[in-house]
Amino acid sequence: MSSAHEASARATAVATLGETIPTDAEVTPLDGRRWGMVIDLDRCTGCQACVVACQAENNIAINEENRVLERRAKTWIRIERYWEGEFPNAKARFIPVLCQHCGNAPCETVCPVWATYHNPEGLNVQVYNRCIGTRFCANGCPYSVRYFNFWNPEWPEPLNNQLNPDVTVRTKGIIEKCTFCLQRINRARVTSKNEDREIADGEVQPACVQSCPTTALVFGDLNDPSTTASRLAESERRYTLLENFGTDPSVVYLKKVDPHVEIDHHHGHHAETAGKHA
Amino acid sequence: MQYLGALLPRITRLQALVIGLAVTPLLLGGAGVIALLLFLMASGGTVTGAPEQPIAFDHSVHAGEAAIPCQFCHRGVVTEASATIPSVQQCMFCHGVVATDRPQIQLLQAHWETNTPVDWTRVHRVPDHVRFVHAPHIQAGLDCATCHGDVASMSEVRQVRSLSMGDCQGCHRENSASLDCATCHK
Ligand code: HEC
Ligand code: HEC
Ligand code: HEC
Ligand code: HEC
Ligand code: HEC
Repeated sequence: MSSAHEASARATAVATLGETIPTDAEVTPLDGRRWGMVIDLDRCTGCQACVVACQAENNIAINEENRVLERRAKTWIRIERYWEGEFPNAKARFIPVLCQHCGNAPCETVCPVWATYHNPEGLNVQVYNRCIGTRFCANGCPYSVRYFNFWNPEWPEPLNNQLNPDVTVRTKGIIEKCTFCLQRINRARVTSKNEDREIADGEVQPACVQSCPTTALVFGDLNDPSTTASRLAESERRYTLLENFGTDPSVVYLKKVDPHVEIDHHHGHHAETAGKHA
Repeated sequence: MQYLGALLPRITRLQALVIGLAVTPLLLGGAGVIALLLFLMASGGTVTGAPEQPIAFDHSVHAGEAAIPCQFCHRGVVTEASATIPSVQQCMFCHGVVATDRPQIQLLQAHWETNTPVDWTRVHRVPDHVRFVHAPHIQAGLDCATCHGDVASMSEVRQVRSLSMGDCQGCHRENSASLDCATCHK
């Protein structure tokens, strides 16, 4: 992704951090990998195991009741529930929504300090220590998956002991979001290099994928046609969220369209989201 | 105000006031921006002196004279992120019998008997938002001394290299290692 905005953001970065800021070519020498996720909605039961696992793995602050009511709760992955059909023939449907790691990400172009960018492995990365908290990215994100830290997080004893040392604790004033469990990807890369081999399919499992009891979530390299994720992504049930926005997401959803459900476009078919927080 | 008058002799008081009011914040703002830039450029790696350690452990005796390999004590260094500091048990391997009459070794033995770890003070420490992994560096053939200096001849370990972002990236550039922010920032 290159744009006038990004070029000027990089110029600011060079001015403040010196010439240590790598050039475009150095950061994006596309090595062919594209991490992505396939979410089979026909398997999702809305159990929230992924939400809990993510919260624990990624040191996400505890969402107290009033934070939820203020719509300032943080959940890098959330389950959106919506209804199909009218009572009594209504069916509850669930969609896990997380950062879509868009190939054409609206958040990346609006960051004035280049704190969010696309990395060579197709990840949309948030460099926390670079972020200055303008929240332009969160406002630019059509999926509402970027969360602002309105407070410094606190963990009462003994919960502080379960913090993950591989993940930074984000402080007040910056944006955070799903990383596809970057720490696990990094670890797999180091381990596989140690053992002088490539990263195997299924070796990297983000916490949400690992905890899903129905294996509705599958993670892998979408550019390698042999991975399970790639093969699932070819399914005729596939779609991507808000496809018409042209964001080119790395998260692919699978859903069989149920011919028996009549969709009322005026009522009944709206998502009950956790809502926009900003 | 009188300087402005000297520069522009035909200016009225009101005009001078308006110009003064308009220019002052600009000057102050400029100074602020410069100060901020200087601050951002100066912050970064710090090279500190050797901190005081609870037991006077001497690398020049162990790694130098006794020529114990670094990995004997820093076991994680080849395969893990952390080099790791040896447990008291590992010291007792030798100090169960070696130099048991010395006060420093008796301190060590007290830890052994009470089953408490030694609370060593960290010498090198990258900030929390930085990810550093020893394994790939050692496997790329880098010597400990490249980053830590000649520890084998130090009585007290001190940091000799800045290990700031520019320092890390300088070497990464030379060795075509990763320059992606996500490699070093978590
Ligand atoms: C080779 C490793 C490496 C890479 C690649 C790297 N950094 Fe850093 N960065 C560091 C280290 C180490 C520090 C800490 C320096 C210190 O405090 O001594 C740091 C510090 C920073 C800081 C200062 C934070 C503070 O609180 O002072 C910012 C901002 C930053 N990095 C942004 C970036 C961005 C943006 C990129 C990608 C373009 C990047 N870094 C790539 C190693 C790296
Ligand atoms: C007999 C065990 C032993 C051997 C052998 C040994 N070390 Fe250490 N090392 C320690 C202990 C104990 C500490 C913690 C106390 C201190 O910092 O002096 C330490 C600390 C260090 C530190 C500082 C860690 C920090 O806090 O940042 C470095 C760097 C280090 N060693 C490098 C080496 C190198 C390089 C070698 C080989 C030339 C080596 N060590 C050999 C036991 C050992
Ligand atoms: C492989 C054997 C070996 C291991 C393991 C070892 N040491 Fe030693 N240590 C020695 C020898 C040999 C000496 C030198 C004794 C002498 O001066 O006669 C020594 C000396 C010392 C002294 C200096 C004693 C004095 O006052 O002169 C201290 C302190 C010490 N060791 C601490 C440690 C600690 C702490 C550890 C564990 C991190 C450790 N040693 C592990 C062999 C070892
Ligand atoms: C590329 C530079 C580099 C090389 C090479 C290197 N280190 Fe380090 N070392 C560091 C940095 C940076 C830290 C601070 C890490 C942190 O804060 O997590 C560190 C920390 C340490 C520590 C204390 C923290 C820990 O990881 O347990 C020890 C002990 C240590 N190094 C030993 C060694 C030994 C022994 C070798 C050689 C086998 C070695 N290092 C090679 C950069 C290096
Ligand atoms: C003296 C040279 C040198 C210095 C200094 C150095 N590195 Fe490296 N680093 C390397 C090399 C070479 C590799 C590549 C290893 C490979 O590709 O297998 C590497 C690899 C890495 C990796 C692993 C990349 C991966 O695959 O996950 C990380 C993380 C890293 N460096 C962080 C740092 C940080 C942080 C610092 C500064 C505190 C630093 N390095 C300083 C030479 C250096």
